[in-house]
Amino acid sequence: MAGSLIPATRPEPAGDSLKRPRPVPAVARAALRLAGVLARRALLLAVLLAFVFAAVELLPGDAANATSERGESAADIAERRQLLGLDRPVLERFWEWMTGLPTGDLGTSARGESVADLLSRPFPNTLLLGGLALLLTLVASVALGCWAAAKPGGMVDRSVSASATGVLALPEFVVAVALVLVFALWTDWLPAVTLTDADGSPASWEMLVLPVLALAIPQIGWNTRIVRAALDDEVKAPHIETAVLDGLPRHRIFTHHLLPGALPTIAAGLATSTGMLLGGAVVVETIFNYPGIGAVLAGAVADRDSPLIAGVVAVTGVVITGVLLLADLVRAWASGGRT
Amino acid sequence: MTAVTLKSAPLGVRSRRGTVLRVLPALLLTALALAGPWLAPEAIDAPVTAPYAEPGGDAPLGGDQLGRDVLSRVLAGGRELVVTSLLVALLVTVTAALLGAVSALRPAVGRFVERAADVLMLLPAVLGILLVTLSWPDGGRLAVVTVSVVLGVPYAVRLVAGAAAPVAASGYVEAAAVGGERLGYLVVREVLPNLRATLLALFGLRFVAAVYLVATAGFLQVGPQPPAADWALMIRENSGGILLNPWGVLAPSIGIGLLAMSVNLAAAALVPATGRKAVPAL
Repeated sequence: MAGSLIPATRPEPAGDSLKRPRPVPAVARAALRLAGVLARRALLLAVLLAFVFAAVELLPGDAANATSERGESAADIAERRQLLGLDRPVLERFWEWMTGLPTGDLGTSARGESVADLLSRPFPNTLLLGGLALLLTLVASVALGCWAAAKPGGMVDRSVSASATGVLALPEFVVAVALVLVFALWTDWLPAVTLTDADGSPASWEMLVLPVLALAIPQIGWNTRIVRAALDDEVKAPHIETAVLDGLPRHRIFTHHLLPGALPTIAAGLATSTGMLLGGAVVVETIFNYPGIGAVLAGAVADRDSPLIAGVVAVTGVVITGVLLLADLVRAWASGGRT
Repeated sequence: MTAVTLKSAPLGVRSRRGTVLRVLPALLLTALALAGPWLAPEAIDAPVTAPYAEPGGDAPLGGDQLGRDVLSRVLAGGRELVVTSLLVALLVTVTAALLGAVSALRPAVGRFVERAADVLMLLPAVLGILLVTLSWPDGGRLAVVTVSVVLGVPYAVRLVAGAAAPVAASGYVEAAAVGGERLGYLVVREVLPNLRATLLALFGLRFVAAVYLVATAGFLQVGPQPPAADWALMIRENSGGILLNPWGVLAPSIGIGLLAMSVNLAAAALVPATGRKAVPAL
């Protein structure tokens, strides 16, 4: 998403030459720019969190009602509402929730447990799953994109592009079902469910293969197209033509000129995939019984536990903000040499 | 969900007949899903065979977890997914068309939409659906549709605004603006008619995104509720018996997979060949 990245160049303020400010050292300028990017990302995250809180508060559900049991009197529900603090003014609770977030306090679930405690064990597992899928996506999509771009319009190019278009629209759970059928039930090569160790992590690496594949395959389709298109655009750049005319070897042009130029676009594509991976993880974990936030959210669906999902969205938003920031930095670094 | 603007054959190479061939499967499949409930041979909610029975006899694809006919449920289970997704795609496209044309003519609106898209980028669509459907327990299908539209519009507006910018800057629009025509007239009569191809492709891409979201909501059991026949719900319900009768899971998976792929290929074929960008546009 090009719009989310900082512009590569800012126009210099057209000041009067007499009043020209003293030149700012390059380091200070870079630091200022970094601070600006950080502040912008932090602001966007704060807006999202406000939106999340508003969605939970303003929509007609209520955690105290959601967890009510049959035969419970209105007084019992009111009591629990008071216990959960739901009878206090919205703004007061909003302020409390927002100021609690930086300290790691994500609020209280509908069942009265601390959301941070509920997420502290499964979230690292989900990050492991999503991180491996992101890594696989990066390697596979760059490799496939380069392979396809090597001979534009050839057999490889056409089949890679067609299959990428085919898989990028598939929901993760459909991919997961196909993988389970082929690799677990028909060939019996890999386990279809995840068993956990005593510490709540997956018992063996084999149990990660299918969930990671199910998550990564649609994202590989999506990112392969981006890599392919970014390389295509970069080929048209004048410095590539110069390199070709200079008689540099093909592989050197690829690794030293084409890929660095396409890097910002590739980084932006991967950053976009992070959200899809974390969202898809919820679904994939349900299928493979993987001990991550997906399992917690499946319980939340049954309980209609909106504070819990608000906590998950908050943590996910922080992770995605971090990845986008990384993509910003890659872009600044890649364009820094040329602008 | 997001999709890439296409890099494809050079200008002029793609023929009209090729486009029709690539759009046809999606149209046929959509028509089949819509007509499916009338074609189902058995009732969708009455057992006709043993639970997870193997294919044979009255049930060509076997039985599901309650012994209901899998074939009938698969035939009946696509309509709601397709209708809901079409509704989402239509609402997103119309909203994005209007907002996108306005933001091309009024940059302040464009900046606001851009910021909204930046914020929503931090919210995975699946989590957004869960958040809204859980906070709004009685919302049902309306909640799923609403949140899918809200999450889809900002990206779609970007695409329309990008395509509308050159049109808005063209001589005849400027002439009309100077001539005192109102914003509404400029949007509906001057800008949008020139974006027909873009809007058609956008509709296709948003349909793909909607199929993904609506199906995932069904799978997470915040969309259609049992005993409804719904492809995503069937996959969830029958996965326990995947060893006994794989068709209970496989058939609805094939339905969703084919629908997503064929509509995506159709949308890809419809993307106008001019003004393409390397960077994903929505």
